[in-house]
Formats: sequence, C-alpha cells, structure tokens
Amino acid sequence: MTHLWRTPVPWLGRKISKLKLYAVISLNPHLASILCSSFLKQKKMSDKGGKGGKSALKSPASKGKDDSAKLKGRKVQFDSEDMFDEKFETNGNGKSNGKGDTPFSKGKGGKGDKGGSAKKEPPPLLLNVEQELPENAKCLMNCEAAQILQGIQDHMVLLSKDPTIKIPSSFDRALQYASTGSFYTNPQSVRQVLESLKKQDVSDGEICVIANTGIESSKKVFALMPSLKAKKTNVKESLTTALTELKKLKTVTESTIVLD
Amino acid sequence: MPRSRPCFPSPHPVRRSPALRSPVHPFRLHSGNMFFHIVLERNMQLHPRHFGRDLREKLVSKLMKDVEGTCSGRHGFVVAITGIENVGKGLIRDGTGFVTFPVKYQCVVFRPFKGEILEAVVTMVNKMGFFAEAGPVQIFVSNHLIPDDMEFQTGDMPNYTTSDGSVKIQKDSEVRLKIIGTRVDATEIFCIGTIKDDFLGVISDPGTTS
Repeated sequence: MTHLWRTPVPWLGRKISKLKLYAVISLNPHLASILCSSFLKQKKMSDKGGKGGKSALKSPASKGKDDSAKLKGRKVQFDSEDMFDEKFETNGNGKSNGKGDTPFSKGKGGKGDKGGSAKKEPPPLLLNVEQELPENAKCLMNCEAAQILQGIQDHMVLLSKDPTIKIPSSFDRALQYASTGSFYTNPQSVRQVLESLKKQDVSDGEICVIANTGIESSKKVFALMPSLKAKKTNVKESLTTALTELKKLKTVTESTIVLD
Repeated sequence: MPRSRPCFPSPHPVRRSPALRSPVHPFRLHSGNMFFHIVLERNMQLHPRHFGRDLREKLVSKLMKDVEGTCSGRHGFVVAITGIENVGKGLIRDGTGFVTFPVKYQCVVFRPFKGEILEAVVTMVNKMGFFAEAGPVQIFVSNHLIPDDMEFQTGDMPNYTTSDGSVKIQKDSEVRLKIIGTRVDATEIFCIGTIKDDFLGVISDPGTTS
C-alpha cells in the first residue's frame, strides 16, 4: 500500500501528486479500502501470470459503486503499467513484463513485501540488559540493594515526621523483594569474593546473577548462563573457588526449601 | 534537622522475614537482574520563595518528591535516591521568576526485562488468569499462558489446579514465571508473564509453608 503513494496515479488522464491523493483519500475513506482491495487483487493476478491486471483492478471499482457515484466526474483508473513505472522505467515502455515479482514484492514497499513474503517466526526473546540501560548503570546484587534500602528506611523514621514527605509504596515492595531474595547478610564480602571473576572477563551482570541465585555448583552456573559457558575454560577454576567461598558466607534460614 | 539521604549508608544488618524462596534450579536460562544503581540528571524548577540558605535542601526534597516512586520505560522504577552528585548553576527563566537547576543524582532503580525469569507472589486469581507481584512490579499471567492441564476452580479461594490436584496456584503462592512483555506508565510498570515454558510454575504453596 505504501508503494502506491510513491508512484503517481493517473487521474482523469493525467497524473496527480501524492499530496492530492492524500487529500482525496482523507475526503473519501472508502477509497482507501478500494485501493487496498484492488492492489491485492492486482498482486494475485500478477502472481498468477500478470495479465489481465487491468480488469482485476477495475472490478473493485465497479463494486464500490456508491463511492464511485460520489466521485462523479472523476474516474479512478489504476493503470497497471503506471503502477509498475518504477520498475519498468529502464525498459522504456510501460508494459508489464508479466513476471510474478513486482515492485511491491521488493523490500522498498515494506508493507507490500511483508504481505508477500512468508511469515517469519519472531526472534527468540533474549535478555539484553546492557543495551537497554545507560552506560553508567551498575548492577546491584539483591543483598546490596536490600542493604541500601534498609539503611534508607531507617533514616525514613526521622523523615516521616515531615508530613510532606511521603514514602512511595514501590519502596516498601522493592525492599521486601530484595530482602527475601538475598542469601547473604554481608554484601561487601560477597562482592569481594566475586570481584576476582572480573579478571576472567565475567561481566557485572553475570556476577550479580551468581550472587542472586545462590548457586553452589559451577555446572549449574554454566547451565544458567549460556554467556558464561562460552568462557568456561578460562573461568571454571576461579568460579569454583568463588562459589566455595560464597557457600561459607551464605545464611541458612529456617524456611529454605530444597527441591530435588 | 537536615533531611538528606546518606550516600551508601553504613552497613546495617538486614532484617528480613524468613525466606520463602527455594534454591535456584539450573533451568533459569534467562535469569537477569532487577536492581541497578545509576546516575540520572533532571532539571528542577524552583519557585523564588524557596531561595535562601536552605535552597539546596529544598531542591533535594523537591527532587525526592518528584522522582521517587515514578517509573520510566528506560530505567524502570526509581525506588530511592541515594545521593546528589552535582547541582549545576541555576538559570532564571524568562518571564517568570522560576529558576532551573540541573541536578545529577544517584538512585536505585528496579527494572524488569523481557525474557527475564523471576519469582513472584500471587496476589489475585480469576478465570482470566492470575496477578502476581515481584517487588513493585505487577505481572499478569493469562489463562492462555497457564499450562493446559491446570483448570480454574471457583470458590472462597479461587485457584488453578492440575487434574490430579497435585499442583495448585492460589493467592500467596510463589511462582516462577517468565516476563514476555512490559507496559510502562508514569507510576507503574505492568508486565505480562507466562508459566507455560519448561521449569516454570509453582515454587511453594502457602498452605505447606505455614
């Protein structure tokens, strides 16, 4: 459909500009649907053999008699030769080559191309943390976030005396989430242990995932993070050491449920 | 009393309720992080009545009121401001007496990502699906994204149960889900999740953990 706007449409024997076509379409919305249906039919015809395009184009116009009646004195004539102007300019004549592929099937048209090509499967949902956040963003482990927010909450006891300062509900929920999601009470020690992995090109995000998930086995870490698996040979030894250290720092709580 | 937040306050013992979560299994192939510490910048407009010796404090408290609890598509929820990096020179706006100050501040943000697997607590169950919460983020799991062998059961405690009754999703259940879409407005991030993939679903039932 977008490709139609690019090529001028013959109108009363003369070509009209894109702007005039927009104006006409805005006055007669039904014309847009007629144009679409005629384009689709034309495409089908061209896929079949390309010939007889003109008649296919004219039939929807005849169906939309009410609209054509409104456009009395104005004949909307879609000459198939003109529609393919862009492609056939170099040929020197206006005749269609009769082949299946039309300018509409090319990538330029966008919509036309999408309509014609087979539906592609949507790409798999990938986690692109680094690309979506600003560069100065620092990943926080849940235990670190819990510590920061808990400190702020303690100060809020003083701040709450001021009636104008309201504590947002998102704060309490975030604090609860961070607190229940962390295995460690001493984030500094955890950070110190995991910093050694940075020498092996382990990213900040990967370090935080290791801390947040509380995994004890390096095999599980590699299964969890395919990106880390690529660096397995370099990382394995230092990762095993780090996980052993983290195990000592982990806090065991009453309600830790172990699922086999 | 000056009302300012310390930057990275001294360590406090984390007082937390008993953890309900289970150790992670190796099937969390797309696990991500939610909390980030970032530096943001904002232009703060201040009325001339606030000018005086407490100008900076008033600017900071206005920043907190304007920014904390809000969210954006890029950064997620601004949970809390942890410090002020820099307050630039004020610029008087023509025609009004207001002055605009560029303020750089550090804050903790909470942001969900598409493709992320996380654990959430169910808050409401109905025939269309169920709502769950992970921190300040609301997640909706449609019945189309719940495994087919789970059916909705009405009653005092509406729930989704398997045919053999072995697995139940009801209010306060912990579920592991995957985020497949997000919607952001000024005050809230709303996500769509699924539990239909492998290794997703109920972690713990509120009945068994009490």
